[in-house]
Amino acid sequence: MDELDKLKKEWQSREHELPKISYNDIYKMLLKKSSSIVKWIFIISVAELLFWLSLYLIIPDDNIKLMHDMGIGNILYYSNILHFIVFAVFIYFFYKNYQSIQVTDSTKMLMQNILKTRKTVRYFVYYNVGMFILSSIVIDTFFYTNSSKLYKVMDFASKGVPQENFANVFVITQILVGVVVIGLLLLFYWLVYGILLKRLKSNYSELQKMES
Amino acid sequence: MNKELEHSFVIQLEKNQNIVHKICRLYTNDQDSHNDLFQEITIQLWRAFPKFRGDSKFSTWMYRVALNTAITLYRKSKRQISTQDFESISFKIKAEEYDDTIEQQLKLMYGAVKKLNDIDKALVFLYLEDKSYREISETLGITEVNARVKMNRAKDKLRKILNP
Repeated sequence: MDELDKLKKEWQSREHELPKISYNDIYKMLLKKSSSIVKWIFIISVAELLFWLSLYLIIPDDNIKLMHDMGIGNILYYSNILHFIVFAVFIYFFYKNYQSIQVTDSTKMLMQNILKTRKTVRYFVYYNVGMFILSSIVIDTFFYTNSSKLYKVMDFASKGVPQENFANVFVITQILVGVVVIGLLLLFYWLVYGILLKRLKSNYSELQKMES
Repeated sequence: MNKELEHSFVIQLEKNQNIVHKICRLYTNDQDSHNDLFQEITIQLWRAFPKFRGDSKFSTWMYRVALNTAITLYRKSKRQISTQDFESISFKIKAEEYDDTIEQQLKLMYGAVKKLNDIDKALVFLYLEDKSYREISETLGITEVNARVKMNRAKDKLRKILNP
């Protein structure tokens, strides 16, 4: 291709037009922080863990008391601990992925490794959304089947809430709130991880096409 | 990291910085992104430097790390190429040395290369850098035969961009 070869000739002879960065400026750059995709995945996951953890810590006492009065306080407490342990394991995997990614690998190998990180991210999202749905179903079913106890514990009678239809209204509200939260959660993951990794995925499929 | 290692790294990068600038120009569309990518590549090169054993030339090793950073690690903005940006960063051809037609052709070709996807861009870049197909295949992690096939396809794509 003539034009490309002409450009190649020019390419070699025009290097003096490129900017020059001084020794000192390069030296300063060594002290700057990297902002690579993998590093961001790691940082975001840690930030997320802290977010959920802080959310758990600011749950009003009334709520915790309600769960205890309903007889599921301990179960919730231990399942939360288990949940955070799984979270920590995921963060360990993110960190391991982050460490194992070598920029000196071939492009294909590097992408493969980053896509492995992507897989971990996907499982992390599945786990989080799955756990949220599962726990919502379990808690809502429990409340529904124990609605008269809930009515008493929350002292709705003194607030003038009629007992007929109480269970239905309560559970439907819970489900609606749950759906909104799941929607927000999915939007968050889609925005954060989806966009971070979209370009990489299309690059990887380009490389794969080369082999076909 | 010790001072000697830092010094030796900065000296070598300063000497070979053209490679990084050329990659930054191909993979970014404005000066700020160019500077960002240059910095990210410098950081990645520096992080990988202790493992650089000198089996290959520093420049050869740089191609791999710099391209990998541009293609996979760098979170570039999806800003569209504006005419002004293109004029300011595209391959500048001196008007007094070349007639208008050649100048125009080269500008168009450079613009077409910039429109290729990240992987094709890397292939064409290494071709422009006069790298052998063996080196191209090693950098990208594909076979030599595939590098040739892919290069021909990239040339086809360039033809289509230039003659839609």
